[in-house]
Amino acid sequence: MHQVIQAVILGLLIGGVYALMASGLTLVFGIMRVINVAQGALVILAAYLSYALFSHAHVDPFLSVLIVTPAMFVLGVLVQIVFVRSLRGDDAEELSLLVTWALALGIEGVLSVIFKTTYRATSPSYADKTLTVFGYQVQFVRLMAFVGSAALLLVLSLLLTRTKFGRAVRATVQNPTAATLLGVDANRVQTLSFGLGVSMAAAAGAVYGVIYPFNPGSHYDLISRLLSIVVLGGLGSLGGAVVAALVMGVTEAVVAVEWQPTWASFSYFIVLIVVLLIRPQGIFGVRERAL
Amino acid sequence: MAEPLLQLDGVVAGYGRGDILRGLDLALEDGTVTCLVGPNGAGKSTVLKVLSGLLSARQGRVVFAGDDVTRLSPAQLLGRGIVHVAQDRSLFPLMTVWDNLLMGGHVLSDRALVRRRADAIAERFELVRERRDERAGELSGGQQKLVEIARALMLEPKLILLDEPTMGLDPKARHLIFELVGEVNEEGRTVLLVEQNARAGLAIAHHGAVLDTGRVALTGRGSELLEDPRVAELYLGGAAAA
Repeated sequence: MHQVIQAVILGLLIGGVYALMASGLTLVFGIMRVINVAQGALVILAAYLSYALFSHAHVDPFLSVLIVTPAMFVLGVLVQIVFVRSLRGDDAEELSLLVTWALALGIEGVLSVIFKTTYRATSPSYADKTLTVFGYQVQFVRLMAFVGSAALLLVLSLLLTRTKFGRAVRATVQNPTAATLLGVDANRVQTLSFGLGVSMAAAAGAVYGVIYPFNPGSHYDLISRLLSIVVLGGLGSLGGAVVAALVMGVTEAVVAVEWQPTWASFSYFIVLIVVLLIRPQGIFGVRERAL
Repeated sequence: MAEPLLQLDGVVAGYGRGDILRGLDLALEDGTVTCLVGPNGAGKSTVLKVLSGLLSARQGRVVFAGDDVTRLSPAQLLGRGIVHVAQDRSLFPLMTVWDNLLMGGHVLSDRALVRRRADAIAERFELVRERRDERAGELSGGQQKLVEIARALMLEPKLILLDEPTMGLDPKARHLIFELVGEVNEEGRTVLLVEQNARAGLAIAHHGAVLDTGRVALTGRGSELLEDPRVAELYLGGAAAA
């Protein structure tokens, strides 16, 4: 039993970071119906930026979030304006898949040229520090990553529910025409939201490199996980993405400990298939657009 | 007629390559209710979309309160005092009634003013007061339409565009909506109404305009149009009103 609880703790900690990455993906999908398949590559880009800041300027990877996140918010805004906004018409959603996939490959290519394909890891002095809480081992960096992710998700949630901008975002998700008729600038909402989505990937990516080794091709694994999290949670549902990410983290950790590590990733997909058979719209998915 | 509050001169507008409005001329007198009637596809809803900035006029001019507003965005037109209550249900179903109301004041930068207006509307509408914390999607169709009109009042508009406000509602709800239209007009607001029930719409309107293939075919007082045998034959489904 001790081992299972230990695995659950580990799974929750990892799930929290994935929730942050997936929140950006589901936010952008909810507002624009754009599946940003570059989200994984953007996480890896942020991991490299954080790694570079740590290696060359000795900036702590957790503090680097304060630099990487705003920088990538700006990048997200530019990407939306240059590549995504111009997509119009009935096939805009399908085209956005191609455009963001091209962006992912572009990021991978640039990173491969600069950093080569060698695996890297951001290793601050406390990387191996472990805490013991009620007899359970908790790796310090994973705890920090979880707390940071939870705090950012809380900020995102408050932004969406307690501010005028957030109300405009939710309105645009639920009824874009009505929102426009009330004076919401849909272009502005979409651009800022895309930037916000990328900055969530950035914040998670900045600490990703402390937890996992990564190379430019790591985004393939990431995006498949993120997409399945968003689908399980319900496309466009922020709460759903958080719950699905935690389910994924715990499922994989428990299966790895209780059964075999090789079945860990596959086990989550079994959960995904079973849930979708029962609820095709995902755990928190609704027929109407929602955040 | 005094200087009209709103004037459309030769407006051409449409979707894709086709034109729906083909040189439409229309004038609205300040403080009146005008009802647009006509067959499906005549361009009634398109007129409202042009006026609220949802659709750009390809040709022609829209003058509101003496200013050319043809190229203004929806937000700018809201600032001028033109609000549009769309045909489809336009509340945000997963937001509370109160948040929907606050969205009505989205273009206002003074948060205290938005709050004061929302409080005043809650005071006026019992439905808003009692259901303010419930999700708007949980209200009945008639209740949702009442909240949509209440939300439109957040900007204290000069002109309200109502697109088929009673569509799909039961007789009691239809009566409530028409009663509210009357109240809003008595406050001095001008109303441009598109109504599928042309007879009921013309009955409460000061003026009516019959649209046909994107142009105004006939105008007159609401009561006159109701009695006009040509209108009755074509659009009211039979004999003129007694």
